[in-house]
Amino acid sequence: METAELQDKIFAFCEAAKGKKKLKEKDIIKGVSAELGIDGDTVKKAMRAMIDVGRLMYSYGGGASSVEIPSEEYLREKGMIK
Amino acid sequence: MAIPQRKTDIGPPKYDQFLPPVIKKNYGKWKYHEVINHGTMVHVGESGDKLWTVRVASPRILATATIREHCDIAEKYCDGFFRYTTRNNVEFLVSDESKLEPLKKDLTARGFKMGGIGAAITNVVHTQGWVHCHSACTDASGLVKAMMDELMPYFESKDLPNKVRLAVACCVNMCGAVHCSDIAVVAVHTKVPTVAHENFKNMCELPTVIGSCPTRAISPDPANKSVKINAEKCMYCGNCFTVCPPISIKDPERDGVAIVVGGKVNSLRSNPKFSKLVIPYISNEPPRWPKAVAAIKHIVEVYAANARKHERIGEWIERIGWERFFSLTGIDFTFQSIDDFTFMRDTMRTSSTFKW
Amino acid sequence: MKKYTTPLIDELEKGPWPSFVTEMKKAAKTNEMANDAVGHLEKCYSTKVGYWKHGGIVGVLGYGGGVIGRYSELGEEFPGVAHFHTVRINQPSAFFYTSKALREICDIWDKYGSGLTNVHGSTGDLVLLGTKTDALETIFAEYSSRGWDLGGSGSALRTPSCCVGPARCEWANYDTLDLCYSLTQEFQDELHRPMFAYKFKFKMSGCACDCVASIARADMSIIGTWKGDILVDQKEVANYASKGMDINAEIVNMCPTHCMNYDGKELKINNAECSRCMHCITRMTKALKPSGERGATICIGAKAPIVVGSLLSWVVVPFIKVEPPYTEVKDLIRKIWEWWDDNAKPRERIGEVIEMKGMRSFLEAIEVAPMPQQIREPRKDPFMFYTEEDMVAFKAKEAEEKKTGKYKF
Repeated sequence: METAELQDKIFAFCEAAKGKKKLKEKDIIKGVSAELGIDGDTVKKAMRAMIDVGRLMYSYGGGASSVEIPSEEYLREKGMIK
Repeated sequence: MAIPQRKTDIGPPKYDQFLPPVIKKNYGKWKYHEVINHGTMVHVGESGDKLWTVRVASPRILATATIREHCDIAEKYCDGFFRYTTRNNVEFLVSDESKLEPLKKDLTARGFKMGGIGAAITNVVHTQGWVHCHSACTDASGLVKAMMDELMPYFESKDLPNKVRLAVACCVNMCGAVHCSDIAVVAVHTKVPTVAHENFKNMCELPTVIGSCPTRAISPDPANKSVKINAEKCMYCGNCFTVCPPISIKDPERDGVAIVVGGKVNSLRSNPKFSKLVIPYISNEPPRWPKAVAAIKHIVEVYAANARKHERIGEWIERIGWERFFSLTGIDFTFQSIDDFTFMRDTMRTSSTFKW
Repeated sequence: MKKYTTPLIDELEKGPWPSFVTEMKKAAKTNEMANDAVGHLEKCYSTKVGYWKHGGIVGVLGYGGGVIGRYSELGEEFPGVAHFHTVRINQPSAFFYTSKALREICDIWDKYGSGLTNVHGSTGDLVLLGTKTDALETIFAEYSSRGWDLGGSGSALRTPSCCVGPARCEWANYDTLDLCYSLTQEFQDELHRPMFAYKFKFKMSGCACDCVASIARADMSIIGTWKGDILVDQKEVANYASKGMDINAEIVNMCPTHCMNYDGKELKINNAECSRCMHCITRMTKALKPSGERGATICIGAKAPIVVGSLLSWVVVPFIKVEPPYTEVKDLIRKIWEWWDDNAKPRERIGEVIEMKGMRSFLEAIEVAPMPQQIREPRKDPFMFYTEEDMVAFKAKEAEEKKTGKYKF
């Protein structure tokens, strides 16, 4: 699978959980690799690349960290959108 | 102005670039040290080299101006090298004995307080409090300041049987090793939290909130799409508030402080110990918490008068027995000192041998 | 700049101990954020409640920690603290600095933040208190380009910290500064990108004095120890005695294992019975010192009271060599994390997971044998698990005994 396609799948996985469950890195890696039958390290790499460019972001709340889709406000802050 | 290129995952700078030459030379080859007074000690290397340390109190919250003053002093007497301690003191490191007295004179002139080394009371480990924490039920820095003003002689000059390590936690999260201190203040809530049901669904995860409760006092409230809290089980720890902002537990008239004693972290003579509850509640009395401060000073004084040399507070109490600690200090024994959380079976007395 | 009257916190400028209020006011002279922090604190003192909201989602791109979001409920009244985020800078091992390095840190902070700091925070980071969201990327670029990285926060490896160790202490049994640095570098990914169920802390102490309180607050406490004899310099013993030390009362009778005696001339130690508590060594540092093989005891599981009570770390590996490149320690850490990752529910520290799943499950996963050094006493109830493998082993041992005619208990 192309990285871009994998990243779209990861994004869709996070979108599906939005507002329902706070996903940890591990949840995404396990979930996506089970769904697509590819190894966890590949998913992790693809996910990290998304975090590095602000397509996903680390979040924190309720005493624990999670990964989620960034808000427009966050992207504006980081200069990703105008 | 251009912003420099960021770097990631570089970690801290390597420690060796901050070590003075005398330390680099004698690294791992120190032979012994001597405490000269509460403010000064000297380490002697196998090489015969000597390194004097002058320890200075700090309020932990420092303005950059004060850090720069530390830098000025270090440049004048220590070739720019100095360090901080785990208990937030500043240590000036002098390898040239002729600079020692001028350094101390300068520190005194600038109003810095030297002390805390040896069988003394040193700086207090504490949390952020109202200065910067969301879950604080008191201010930590203020309590520390008020305590240390009273205990200053034990920092600067007066000897105790052994060190007394103090700590202040502004809530039961107890950031720092507050739970293993000779004497510690821990701020407590005393009322069952309330839940703003309308915000629960958007801000909190039900299983996390239920799981956050150590006494299983929280259960689902389907009608309100929220949770309810069983007042008979709740011990006001505030963990539910941490994981779920719509839960509210602060109460200015009911929040207060408790005092725990007898903990330690080292293994000298006896094993590390937790601190134990002796005073369950004192009202929150900013700005100077007079009753809490008086209680701590009183416990220190009773310890100083009764313990044997080298005994820490916890060791002294174990030797004389808790019943004797309560009678010597005159502290009222209350239900709160009997564990009804998780440790009752380990903490009740199971013999008829005790003191009157 | 707004001028606040602060009668309550002014009380905390009186008295001999250095005042944090004076520090805050010092920063407030030239800094709007610090000035509002002073007014904000006075408000807390007058109402006896805090006004900080739960931490929010702030950070630098690509990292999941190092910045703690902090917002005030009273942002309109005190705009300077509407955003007042904390930046954690990973401190150098054992908190040694040069004035040049600290001046640089201060200069950057004055430019972009409140000018207020904690030197240091409880975990060990150099804490910069109070900045705004839009300054974070610049702050990170300024510090990281000069060799300073952020510390840990959230469900991640927290910034490791160590005692002063061999840099200025004769009792260090291993190089705490170097191990601290080496592990911090090795596990940068785990430190900056939260991938655990909850926080994980390492602390390194060079001996049983445990000056960083590792046994009380580190998920993994690495405490220096040794295996050889305590060497006694009898001349120095005599010196201590002549200077007034009552060696029987202060040393011999306070030895927890009663492995010493002193007849007024010679101090004798039965080293086989010594538990290496450090009491005698710390009191007679000129006369006594450890010898032989050096290393550390690894203890696991300490935490503060939330949720079901505090824990002190439990002895897991009684002795491990701690020498560069620390392969043995690093391998052990990876095994520990793997088991924790497989078994933890959200917000469960490793000590809690061990309590839930049992020490056996943990020890087997990290390939450590059961040893009496790990426990204070054996179990006192007769409820225990027997696996099929256990039974095969018990039976095999008995079969062997029948063959040799000799019991092996």
